[in-house]
Amino acid sequence: MTVLKTSMRNFLAHKGRMALSAVAVLLSVAFVCGTLVFTDTMNATFDKLFANTASDVSVAPKKDDDAQETGKPQALPAALQGKLAKVDGVAKVEPHVTSMQLTVVNGKNKSLSPTSGAPTVGTNWDESQKKSVEITSGHAPHGPAEAVLDSDTADKHGVKTGDKLRVIAVPGDFTVSVVGIATYKTTNPGAALLYFDTATAQAKLLGSADAFSSYGLTAASGVSNEQLKERVTTVLGSSAGDYAVRTAAESKEENKKDVGSFLDVMKYALLGFAGIAVLVGIFLIVNTFSMLVAQRTREIGLMRAIGSSRRQVLRSVLTEALLLGVVGSVLGIGGGIALAVGLMELMGSMGMKLDLGELTIKASTPVVGLAIGVIVTVLAALLPAFKATRISPMSALRDAGTPADGKAGKVRATIGVLLTALGGLALAAAAKADDAKAGSGMLGLGVFLTLVGFIVVGPLLAGFVVRVLSAIVLRVFGPVGRLAERNALRNPRRTGATASALMIGLALVAALSVVGSSMVASATDQLDKSVGADFIIQSENQQPLSPAAVKAVKGAGHVEHVTEYTIVNAKITTPDGKTATKRLSAVTPTYADDVRAETVKGKLKDAYAKDAMSVPEGFAKDNGVKLGDRLKVAMTGGRTAELTVNAITSDDTSIDQGAMYTNIATARNYLPADKMPLDFMLLAKAADGQTKEAAAALKASVEQYPQIKVRDQSDYKKLIQDQVGQLLNMIYGLLALAIIVAVLGVVNTLALSVVERTREIGLLRAIGLSRRQMRRMIRLESVVIALFGALLGLGLGMAWGTTSQKLLALQGLGVLDIPWPTITAVFLGSAVVGLLAALVPAFRAGRMNVLNAIATD
Amino acid sequence: MTTAVSIPKTGGSGGRTAVAARARQVVKAYGAGETRVTALDHVDVDIARGQFTAIMGPSGSGKSTLMHCLAGLDTVTSGEIFIDETEITGLKDKKLTRLRRDRIGFIFQAFNLLPTLNAIENITLPMDIAGRKPDKAWLDRVVETVGLAGRLKHRPNQLSGGQQQRVAVARALAARPEIIFGDEPTGNLDSRAGAEVLGFLRQSVDELGQTIVMVTHDPVAASYADRVLYLADGRIVDEMHSPTADAVLERMKNFDARGRVS
Repeated sequence: MTVLKTSMRNFLAHKGRMALSAVAVLLSVAFVCGTLVFTDTMNATFDKLFANTASDVSVAPKKDDDAQETGKPQALPAALQGKLAKVDGVAKVEPHVTSMQLTVVNGKNKSLSPTSGAPTVGTNWDESQKKSVEITSGHAPHGPAEAVLDSDTADKHGVKTGDKLRVIAVPGDFTVSVVGIATYKTTNPGAALLYFDTATAQAKLLGSADAFSSYGLTAASGVSNEQLKERVTTVLGSSAGDYAVRTAAESKEENKKDVGSFLDVMKYALLGFAGIAVLVGIFLIVNTFSMLVAQRTREIGLMRAIGSSRRQVLRSVLTEALLLGVVGSVLGIGGGIALAVGLMELMGSMGMKLDLGELTIKASTPVVGLAIGVIVTVLAALLPAFKATRISPMSALRDAGTPADGKAGKVRATIGVLLTALGGLALAAAAKADDAKAGSGMLGLGVFLTLVGFIVVGPLLAGFVVRVLSAIVLRVFGPVGRLAERNALRNPRRTGATASALMIGLALVAALSVVGSSMVASATDQLDKSVGADFIIQSENQQPLSPAAVKAVKGAGHVEHVTEYTIVNAKITTPDGKTATKRLSAVTPTYADDVRAETVKGKLKDAYAKDAMSVPEGFAKDNGVKLGDRLKVAMTGGRTAELTVNAITSDDTSIDQGAMYTNIATARNYLPADKMPLDFMLLAKAADGQTKEAAAALKASVEQYPQIKVRDQSDYKKLIQDQVGQLLNMIYGLLALAIIVAVLGVVNTLALSVVERTREIGLLRAIGLSRRQMRRMIRLESVVIALFGALLGLGLGMAWGTTSQKLLALQGLGVLDIPWPTITAVFLGSAVVGLLAALVPAFRAGRMNVLNAIATD
Repeated sequence: MTTAVSIPKTGGSGGRTAVAARARQVVKAYGAGETRVTALDHVDVDIARGQFTAIMGPSGSGKSTLMHCLAGLDTVTSGEIFIDETEITGLKDKKLTRLRRDRIGFIFQAFNLLPTLNAIENITLPMDIAGRKPDKAWLDRVVETVGLAGRLKHRPNQLSGGQQQRVAVARALAARPEIIFGDEPTGNLDSRAGAEVLGFLRQSVDELGQTIVMVTHDPVAASYADRVLYLADGRIVDEMHSPTADAVLERMKNFDARGRVS
């Protein structure tokens, strides 16, 4: 009881000193809980959405992953409707038409498609739609020239009833006028929705009056969904295998699959970043308790002298940690919920309107949050707590001045250097690895060992690195700089731990920036080296190009040639009898000029001969394919061809790595027209000296298709750079949390050491150090610690990044590019961060009472 | 008797005033209303230049407060304090700090030295902070006087308590301040080490013409001074010139007895 009372009193007495540790726990727990609440809410929202829209039983074409990308939505014969209506227990059959292969543009030729990656959906207006939306203005669509638009898209783009929209669908373009606006009754998942009457949807989206995308069956009363599914399957008989018959529950699961797995990936990624923040927070907590124990040496000695057992001392420190963990976690859980609400608002601003009423807080969330917060805090306090138990009762009698300089031991040095060396070896092995899998294992091991090694050896490096940094940075500040240097050096373990926390976040930033910029550099290099085409023409939403668009591009002037590029799914049987499903790149032979793929055997040109192909090096090796071998290629939905291997391409490339090339004419030969996949990309080469004119002509040719972009090589490079840049920025944003916690650690260390050095500060002020000089001294100490952490982190990160690049060179990441501007900016940024971290501690040091130094207690 | 103004305001050599520091009607009070505690009660005092002055008095008499106020470490409630001809009461922190740095030296009872700096760095610290170059010859003489020549590169934790105080004395002397304030400078030392430090202080007054004010409750320490001021209840109640330890002790006993009777 006394122990608890003492712990409570200590905790409350030092609430200021505990505050930053509590914030670290709070942030980590908030990140974890926020992630859980947010993903749970998203899951619940989608569950509700899909449950709302699912029919009792639905009949759809069986999804075939191998089907060719013909651009036409899979469809069912209209005749099936009558057959299904006759099934015993069916109350109603509703035919649905749905297509996501469309682009909608307004009168200004601007696409209404969501920029978030959510689809644009065209569908028929029927009873089932009324479950999720209602028409809030205008009326339902009738006839071939009317459509209803969802209100969110309408609001975003200022579309009103009466406006004309052009719909670009695979069967062809058509124009409709908006006759009504439909508003979501449930959560809007972010898609753009356009409703037509059923006949229009059939004709314009599916290209056939005799087809539907799916049927929704309503069960008669007394018939369960499962029973109905069984009966439908029986009626369909032998052809049941061609259909996907699902109950409402199964539909929900099916629809959830993609979203659910995306949410899972997001959840674990976010939790990963939360984990890094937790790791960094551990350093902060260890430091806090170490310093509190050091400051209380005399007090603990007194407790021991008057008869407290070691156990009691241990328990008293751990109880304090427990209190800290509980307080931090409880606040963190609240913070997490707030964070989730914030994320939902953010999603709302990006087009997905989430209802705050849907906020889902599972019982497990606070439990997990509390467990993480408390366990981490108590574990982090263990080491300092054990140190406290070793305080001798004699300490009560000794003079409790500023704790003596900490010395880093030899054992520590040996272990640290050994770990770092082993890690270095692992990294070297990873860099040299021939096999990506083994190499990535080595990389992981190397990253882990060097990180731990650096953390262990950090305090020793502090002595050396801080001296060097001081010689460069602090020299100009004269005696104040020297005082700052000595202060940073006086407890290397503390400085090391503080800097290590910063090191972790910055190492990851550096490693990713190296990989990212190497990606851009490698892609640019490859483009320069092997792409001869002047223009790359692609659709923005990853959709194939419609035949009309391809025709338009081919008609452009000032162009030497236009290369078509499509993907044909096929089963390939190799001479050794093995069969594998592969994606063939079927291209116009001019592709050989557009992308100069290196061959190891044969000439690429020959691969475009009639009934010929190329295979990549790796495939040839694995399957024992030699030049001149004939492979059986069964094109999905078409006939089986025997193609001669006329070239073997090198795998040492980042463009089209592993592609199997064949002439698009060969593919057309073996595939019926309606199974021929649409072009995925077009490449064009300008006529000699007419690059400008060609660019204008090509852009003009696709003017009607705002989703199609014509890019020259520099545009394309910029696109890659932007994409990588966006990804990196997102990751940096998430790493910012870990860095913030680390900065809190710097603030904490400084704040505690200012308290610890009250006497020294008073003395310095008494003998004439001005407030300004005092503040500068603290700031410089902070800057040196931050720069030390940055130096370690950036060094470590660059080593990781370089190793990753060497390893990924196998995957075409051939060029190492260290982004010096980023590295330099991070280094200098750390100095700024150091200054900011010192703001409050420096201010407090400046305000400290001079007389405290002299008052002898 | 609430004043100790017994020295002519000008005199001595070089045209400088013979008074290094003076306090006029200084009041220092804490709190307000019923809880008001008066630590200094209208004190007038002159500190003679080139003399060693000791301030004595029982605990709570205000002797430390008086020294802190004279040295510009603490503010006064009312009254005026001058260092030479500069009035320091009412000075802003910046000017006060500069005054302490350039014109005053300190020796405290403990924690006199920065643990991160070695002996010589500690000695030259006030000058380093000011950005002044120490006078080499003077520095050597000071170091020689306090007998630290062999230990200049040692950190405080490698020095004994007496050696640490000697470094503090050297630091106070090195910058040639107009006046050195000592707050029980020998309070933490055994009698031998204490005698050593007091010897140096005496020597610096005699040989270097240094002005020193020292707060102490030790009659032996006070006996090194030229003049002893006695404080009780925030007032100066007595003074003694050319004291001896026995005489000081005798007078202290008197005050104690009087205090008990009243």
